[in-house]
Amino acid sequence: MIITRPTSVEAALEELADENSLAVGGGTSIGLMVKNRLIEPERLVSLNGIAALHGIEERGEGGFRLGAMTTLHELIHSPIVTASLPSLAFAAARVGNPRVRSVASIGGAIIHGDPRQDLPPVLLSLDAIAHVVGPRGGREIPLAEFFLGFMESAAEEDELVTQVTVPLRTGQRATYTRFTPGSEDDYPTVGVAVAGNLDNEGVITGAKIALGGVDATAILAHEAAEMLVGQRPSEGLFAEAAAVAAAAANPSDDQRGSEEYKRAMVAVWTRRSLARCLAL
Amino acid sequence: MMQLEIMLNGEPLSAEIASDALLVDVLRLNGFTGTKEGCGVGVCGVCTVLVNDLPVASCITLAALVEGSQIWTVEGLTAKDENLLNAFVEKEGMQCGICTPGQVVSCYALGLENPKANEEEIREYMSGNLCRCTGYVTITESVRQYLASK
Repeated sequence: MIITRPTSVEAALEELADENSLAVGGGTSIGLMVKNRLIEPERLVSLNGIAALHGIEERGEGGFRLGAMTTLHELIHSPIVTASLPSLAFAAARVGNPRVRSVASIGGAIIHGDPRQDLPPVLLSLDAIAHVVGPRGGREIPLAEFFLGFMESAAEEDELVTQVTVPLRTGQRATYTRFTPGSEDDYPTVGVAVAGNLDNEGVITGAKIALGGVDATAILAHEAAEMLVGQRPSEGLFAEAAAVAAAAANPSDDQRGSEEYKRAMVAVWTRRSLARCLAL
Repeated sequence: MMQLEIMLNGEPLSAEIASDALLVDVLRLNGFTGTKEGCGVGVCGVCTVLVNDLPVASCITLAALVEGSQIWTVEGLTAKDENLLNAFVEKEGMQCGICTPGQVVSCYALGLENPKANEEEIREYMSGNLCRCTGYVTITESVRQYLASK
């Protein structure tokens, strides 16, 4: 194995054109996979030296740009993210431990495609878009279409995620809740991200519910969210929507709970999350 | 094999390493055995070192990825700031000692990131460094004493 450190996206793409190459961001997942011989790439292409992949920008009506190599540490300490994307800052601050957050990147969090991670449901709830570039040019992939399966994404192997953008949603409320019955630094049994708007009359005008840890990918609970639109917040409404969200989940048995338990917990934590986010 | 150039505890280090060498092993083979491998999966905190002023798990960090970086280990940090080790000695922030190098490095990192951390913030930050002996009370007191010295 060789490790290279290109300084431009173009140079990185040239190296990634070789099918035995693999891009590495913060390296928290890939370092472990290489160490345990789960993967044996001939070439690791470190993205850390590419300035264009870094940086957090607020672009007015254009929303927010988060470079793919933005670390969780940078998200947590960014005045832009803490002020305008608080559910993302909250989720980033709860991933792993400080050593992981120092180096783990937002691009890595989505391309890795681990359904138990915290950032994917938050980014789904915020209508985030992955910007991908490759030998066939650049394209924008809404996160709702990005996660295809367990550790499988819509980005091809010769493509790079360069940035994640989040549209501006004036007046939006957003929360993230992670339920970790074992240990707080574990992956969540279920993570629930909610985002939505209320009008002056207190009627819900838009809502997104995204779930982590309860399917092969992070998922949007479309039907549950749509039930909320046009309604006034109430405990009964939130309980009904939460039950629909639980039916949309497709969890599997593991040490974080049985299928049945996780489904029940989706209902409980979705109801509570809706109340936290959207109650009058 | 490849050549690695880093700044280690303020001094340049040039080492020939395997391209898949882990940072913890490179440090230990070069005599810095304060850094230890514990769980081996980035969870327990024993292998914590600073890379460009931020804590990282050296047991899952490919050394080649930190080329050109400033690395500080427990040896360098305790030599640089005597209040750091004194806090752990005076407050007895250890029992068996296995986790201590990682606790000390994380304590220093918290001092850089949030020197005014309150009790809850100290506990939250240090929660990634596992200790099976102390129950964390004396470790938290050690961290509090160190932060007060800043």
